[in-house]
Amino acid sequence: MSYTVAIVAGVAFFALSIVVLGVWPGRALDRQMRDMAPTAPLLLTASEQRGRLVYGREGCAYCHTQQVRFLHADMQRFGAPTLAWETQVDYPHLWGTRRIGPDLARETAVHTEDWHYAHLFDPRALAPRSVMPAYRLLFDGSPLRPRQEARDLVAYLETLGRPRELAAPEGEARARDRCNCPGDAMAQMAFEAASINAHPARPRPAADGPALPPASDTRRGSNLYADRCAGCHGAGGLGDGPAAPWLSPRPADLTAHRYTRARLSDALWHGVAGTAMQAWRDHTVEDLAALATAVDRLASTDVDAADELGDQLARGAQVYLTHCAQCHGTDGDGRGSAAAQLRVAPTNFRQQRATASLTLAAIRDGVEGTQMAAWSGRLTADEQRAVAQYVRRFFVPDPSGPGAE
Amino acid sequence: MSDRTDTPGAAAAAPPPIDATLVRAHGVAALVTLLVSVAFGLIAATSLVLPDLVDGAGWLGWGRVRYAHTQGIMLGWLGNAFFAFLYHAVPLLSGRRVTSVALGRWLFGLWNFAVMAPGWVLVLAGLSQPLEWAEFPLPVDAVVLLCLGLAAVQFLPPFFARGLESLYVSSWYIIGALVFTCLAYPMGNLVPELVPGARGAAFSGLWIHDAIGLYVTPLALAILYFVVPAATRRPIYSHFLSMLGFWLLFFVYPLNGTHHYVFSVIPMEAQRTAIAASTILGVDVVLVVANLLLSLRGAGLIPRDVGLRFVATSVVFYLLVSVQGAVQAQMAVNQSVHFTDWVVGHSHLAMLGFATFAAAGGLVHAWQRLPDAPYHSRALEWSYWLLVAGVVLMVGDLTLAGLVEAGAWGAEGAWIESVAAARPYWVARVHAGALVAAGFVALLVGLTRGPRGAGRNVVESGVGPAPVAEVSPRLGPLPSGVR
Repeated sequence: MSYTVAIVAGVAFFALSIVVLGVWPGRALDRQMRDMAPTAPLLLTASEQRGRLVYGREGCAYCHTQQVRFLHADMQRFGAPTLAWETQVDYPHLWGTRRIGPDLARETAVHTEDWHYAHLFDPRALAPRSVMPAYRLLFDGSPLRPRQEARDLVAYLETLGRPRELAAPEGEARARDRCNCPGDAMAQMAFEAASINAHPARPRPAADGPALPPASDTRRGSNLYADRCAGCHGAGGLGDGPAAPWLSPRPADLTAHRYTRARLSDALWHGVAGTAMQAWRDHTVEDLAALATAVDRLASTDVDAADELGDQLARGAQVYLTHCAQCHGTDGDGRGSAAAQLRVAPTNFRQQRATASLTLAAIRDGVEGTQMAAWSGRLTADEQRAVAQYVRRFFVPDPSGPGAE
Repeated sequence: MSDRTDTPGAAAAAPPPIDATLVRAHGVAALVTLLVSVAFGLIAATSLVLPDLVDGAGWLGWGRVRYAHTQGIMLGWLGNAFFAFLYHAVPLLSGRRVTSVALGRWLFGLWNFAVMAPGWVLVLAGLSQPLEWAEFPLPVDAVVLLCLGLAAVQFLPPFFARGLESLYVSSWYIIGALVFTCLAYPMGNLVPELVPGARGAAFSGLWIHDAIGLYVTPLALAILYFVVPAATRRPIYSHFLSMLGFWLLFFVYPLNGTHHYVFSVIPMEAQRTAIAASTILGVDVVLVVANLLLSLRGAGLIPRDVGLRFVATSVVFYLLVSVQGAVQAQMAVNQSVHFTDWVVGHSHLAMLGFATFAAAGGLVHAWQRLPDAPYHSRALEWSYWLLVAGVVLMVGDLTLAGLVEAGAWGAEGAWIESVAAARPYWVARVHAGALVAAGFVALLVGLTRGPRGAGRNVVESGVGPAPVAEVSPRLGPLPSGVR
């Protein structure tokens, strides 16, 4: 008798836990997936699957969760909470229970491939205080020579959060209709996320950033610069940080440019899409203002030197309209008719001015990693000089800034 | 069944022989795997402070040693220590020999050379599964399951021979642990490979808690309930509370799993069930601990017998970790501390505080009663105090780190600020880890150096533990009022 009681009771307790916490929630999740998932799941390619194995093998999930919780604090940092269908092809799940590094559930389109290779090879080149291990064994000695495993891993990272993004906004609307659950607080939270991917480092197309107040704390600015920027742009701003040789396009030489404050705000708040320059929206406006001031102080006096003018200017205008305006716009604002098709937005000359020599070099040799071609074979040296002078004239300096004339 | 008045142990006035070789073999294997696991833990902890110490994709990369650390502690150290204790305790509890010494040799060989050795090698070589407390790859899992089955065959028949009515609570915990670990193990190791995403995570959550709740905790409690009366020479305070605690534990523990995924997409009702169960569990543990502490009355705040002292300290850690667990499962707390080092501190309080102190206490207790095992009292004293200092420092440090991280996440500011803020605590954690490692080296010395059979001196010194022959009768339920 007592055998029976003990065994039945014991097994029943265990079975109860499986039913209550395993099987029954599984059915509810199935229902939710049926309602909300797009019609066909987005499967991983062979490369992405191999990358997932590397991710699992190296314990990435033990520092990076893949699960945005239904909490405003999580949503603010990482975007919409993770729905059941988003992990429906994850064998096994990689949710994780510890978050030393940031959540990766919405990593897609946050960083470029070259950034990932540089970061995996030498995390501290990009973030000096990072504690992520360096994965040099995934490379053949340099981030420029990733082995297959590194390529696979980066391909996999690029899939995180992608299905939801590809489904939206039609997918979101459909899920909302099918769910038809105004009383389900969690589902409503998932739908009401301001944007699916709110990752603060994710670059967006150029647009106005927040107005940056004048910064008085120069120390804060230079400290932030040393921590966040120097890895790529170099301690002195020369664009020669330890990670610079691994990035394409190369990080800007900040000493050779004068930027308007609006340009700096845009680049810091939105990043520079198509380049490794990420966004920094997890910083306060005050911090970004301090950073902008620090960057401004790096510019050499050369950038403000006036060109000697003459009949070159008319010639420059003519060349510009023939060859440059399609991308850079007739008045130099970077909004030419072809601009929207380019991966990296053409320079807006009204907001930034490079030194004469850098401008000339860009025209002559092109800009590697962008669609800016080399014009040395097509324009004579005189024409190159003329158009270089002409584009530098577009710059509209901040009223009180050093570039003001 | 708990208030029977006959004493099962009394039937076996001359208790059946304990196989000393198996106790010692598993004991030494436990200590060796412990030191290896701790070395992995130290590498992982140091990597957070010196991240370029090893390449992330190499054999000693952070992720891989992290896997090797927890699997080594759970299966290598605790598994072997539990087996050593079972070879000592099951004959005394049941009055019968374990099933077969030959089977014992097979079990020892399989557990150490077909589970631990290949498990570690494969994980370090990059063949693993990224599931918490289930990182050994599937072929190794198959051997683990086989071993758990063999362990059931080895240790359970002696209990069933005489019927369940007369079983002492330790026996119940042993039966429960061996049966339910067999059932729970595939749920965490296999099911998430077959059931994807959120549904699989629900099963992972069950296993994460069942690993501690149905495997570690029952066997650790079996040790506590065994060593306390055996060493204090008095019966347990209340057999009724013992059995109430046992049944509540097996009812409530498995229902905790989903509290690892609070605020996830798993249905809120399941989350709330798990949180409620976590709260009840806290209450249940208060019952169990009260019973054990009352049984320890008169043993002194710091018992002179090191084995009993480890066990008494384990009881205190058990109370702390369970109350902490019940608190951190609550949504208001969980939303801040989840994903932080607070939880890492919690699991160290459980595995390093509660379970390891119980296992070490059981090992020392068994060692004292082996006819010619080396026993080094001073080394064991050092071990105890180093471990206490190490655990307190580590858990306190990680708990604070968790609060600091939660604060940084809640504040405005880049993610890296939370990493930078945690760094001093990670430095302190490495030092705590070094203390713990030193404590374990001292434990190894204490049980492998020193005069053979010296543990018997403790037994005969009067205040120390009683000889084996005197222990057995006290492990049965006694009529009230009998001392």
